Amino acid sequence: MKKILMVLVISLGIVTSALAETFTFVVPQKPGSGTTVWTEIVLKELARFMPGHTLKLRNFPGARDIPAVNAFQNELRFDDTIIMVSHGGNGVSFLQENVDYNYADWESIGMMNLNIIVGKRLDADLDDIIFASNPGRVPDAMALALLLCGKLDSIAEYTTCFKSKVTFVPGFKKGGDRRLAFKRGELTVDRENPAAYKKHIAPNEEAEVWFHHGILQADGSHADDVNYPGLQMEILYEQKWGEAPSGPMYDAYVLVKSFRDAMQKAFWVNAGNPNAELLQKALLEMSKDPQAIAAIQKKVGKYEWVIGEEGNARRDTLMSFVTEPALRDLVEFSNEALNIAAIYKESILNPDAVDVVEEDEQSKSITGWLKDFFNWQ
Amino acid sequence: MAAILTLLAGTFYGLIIGLIPSAGATTGLVALFGFISFFGFDPYLGVIFCMAVVASSTTGDTYAGILLGIPGANSAAATMVDGYPLAQQGRATEALTAAITTSTINGLFWGTLTFALLPQYVKLIMYFGIPELWAFILLSLACVGFVSNKFWFRSIIAICVGIFIGLIGIDPETNIDRFTFGWEYLEDGVQLMPFVAGLFAFPEIVQGWRRGNSIATIGKETHTHQTWIGIKAVWKYRWDALRGGAIGAFVGFLPGLGGAMGDWMSYGATVASHPEEEFGKGNLRGVVGPEGSNNAQKATSMIPTVLFGIPGASFAAVLLGLFAYLGFELGTQEIANDTKFFDSLTFGFMWATIITGVVCVLFNKQIAKITYVPYIYYFPFLVAFIIWACVQYTGGWQDYAILGITTCLGLFCKKYKFSRPAMLMAFILATKIEALTLQMTTIYSIDKLITRPLFLVIMSFVIMLLVFSIVKRSKLEYA
Repeated sequence: MKKILMVLVISLGIVTSALAETFTFVVPQKPGSGTTVWTEIVLKELARFMPGHTLKLRNFPGARDIPAVNAFQNELRFDDTIIMVSHGGNGVSFLQENVDYNYADWESIGMMNLNIIVGKRLDADLDDIIFASNPGRVPDAMALALLLCGKLDSIAEYTTCFKSKVTFVPGFKKGGDRRLAFKRGELTVDRENPAAYKKHIAPNEEAEVWFHHGILQADGSHADDVNYPGLQMEILYEQKWGEAPSGPMYDAYVLVKSFRDAMQKAFWVNAGNPNAELLQKALLEMSKDPQAIAAIQKKVGKYEWVIGEEGNARRDTLMSFVTEPALRDLVEFSNEALNIAAIYKESILNPDAVDVVEEDEQSKSITGWLKDFFNWQ
Repeated sequence: MAAILTLLAGTFYGLIIGLIPSAGATTGLVALFGFISFFGFDPYLGVIFCMAVVASSTTGDTYAGILLGIPGANSAAATMVDGYPLAQQGRATEALTAAITTSTINGLFWGTLTFALLPQYVKLIMYFGIPELWAFILLSLACVGFVSNKFWFRSIIAICVGIFIGLIGIDPETNIDRFTFGWEYLEDGVQLMPFVAGLFAFPEIVQGWRRGNSIATIGKETHTHQTWIGIKAVWKYRWDALRGGAIGAFVGFLPGLGGAMGDWMSYGATVASHPEEEFGKGNLRGVVGPEGSNNAQKATSMIPTVLFGIPGASFAAVLLGLFAYLGFELGTQEIANDTKFFDSLTFGFMWATIITGVVCVLFNKQIAKITYVPYIYYFPFLVAFIIWACVQYTGGWQDYAILGITTCLGLFCKKYKFSRPAMLMAFILATKIEALTLQMTTIYSIDKLITRPLFLVIMSFVIMLLVFSIVKRSKLEYA
């Protein structure tokens, strides 16, 4: 009997270890960074819903957090045990930088549909704002331009107006330096993700919430944030200027804020990854577990999870925002107003904008046609 | 009992990390991410463990610098200038004991001041704005480049080269590659580990290999006697020790400036205070002066880290992440009211400092005997280990290439007396200098700057140091 039991135990052990996987979550930042901390918090809870499996975090830092995501696109995604953790900055880079990755090639495990909260000092002069610059802050800068300047005809006019009202201070690479500068009053407006806002700006008696960007809905619209009701940029704009925001600048703003905030923290695997279902199921269970969600919400606030197919659908909604005029205007504002070396990428336009691409195809030179034909880079 | 065992485990682990050349508190803490979840059953034990690692690794990093001439961590490089020549003279135990005793005393003194008065520092930090931090960085470069070196013009060149290498990567303002020469690997800049190893470790290893014999070639007097000399030296040079601790504490208190600055400023202050003495050839005062700085700095770095959740140094940034994993959100009101958290912080740091101090002093004379072992027996392991540490960034050929290039640079600087410490400091601070310069010139005009008394005071010190270095040249030839 003892022998039978031993054989059973050993067999069970072998079977279990054969089924058990070590999943590696690749974070494109250094240890201690915002996305790393978020991933650690989530993995701690998620591990309970994936018994027998090991969840490992791997930091893959690099310039502007791009190398890890490029590596995922080019190589890592073909390993079925690797999960990419992307953040909002990756979304902004996708729109206007020379990156290899494309969300369309991936499958969503889940994403947290977050928001960015902008705070201002009580003594801030709204005609002379001092705000820290950073490529990930393009949506915030555009929101400032819209709120402060109202409806203008062209991006050039917005650029002029923005420059006259906002001092965009370069050199703030680390959040800590920026936060202290805001506390000291050297910066008069600052922004944070919900978790960081609760920690760094909310307790500051000399500051208050100015506006937030809203939460992306399944239909592509943005709704007010229940954590900061009545302070969505669109609501404040309408109160100040008497009409809802619209026009080319607003379209470009919606495009970039959606890519940054709706996928602010997201898990991805390669399309067709056989482990996707297992991971989605575990994340779904975690999102329904009151204890797990309470632990996560304690750190980041009350924000919804978009899991599995819903995540893919949300990604597709975002891709539909990528129209030629919106992308061109975004690039122009980034270049001219924010001095960022942004590039216009025709290759990421959504299929509905394909007419424009096809026209371009027809007028392409023979060299360009040959390059495409032989898939030259 | 669990707290004591945790404390001992953390202290032991930190000490081992500290002994490894080119590693330090940051490296030791990063490695903890793999098993910090073990403390899930009692997160306060995790706090004790982490603080013990910080305290003991900071004390332990002295060994590699003094015994091998290789900085244990970049913050321990200043102690090496006079510590390594002492080891070569067969006085390693003396140098080590003086260094460890100074570290322990300063760690305890500034640890007590930090943890006992933590909430009182909020207003003080606010006095240091962008212009003051900018001026303070200039002051630190002036200390290492002008006061701590005889060849001030070569120091200026070394500083420029250090800044240039430190700025390789991406221009933060325009997002465009800068000085990368089209090499994608360089977009994230040159990493610290290969830079330190190339600049300091390999030139010393090459020298040791050429020499062939042991590091210490003379003096085998009883090391027990040396232990007493080392301890007594701290009392004899007490003002240098206290000054070094105070400078380190001040640097730690200013967020984001890091340990190397405090060390070199303390060393510069020691050299400047004793113009009649010779440094760089085995002056015990040159060990006592800077050594207390990094322990004091570690203690006071916890002030902005705990109060604002803003890391005071690179190790503190990692600590912030580890604590978050344990469920402690630094910089919040909840943490300010958590007395058990503060008790754990204090217990871990203070007791680890004491235990490390006692253990190190007791075993110094045994450890110091490595300087009599012929170099040939251990240098292959040293080379293998340092290379391993340097290629952890990507593991590709590029890591090796960078290490090769920085080693050539280190050998050149050592031979032609271009200040390697100044170059290292400039490299570490390059992005900070750039960032603060951009911030200051965008926000402040000259009219505004001249109304800031603290800025004016620090800048006048910088000018005084420059004049001092030209009029009365330092005797220190170490490069």
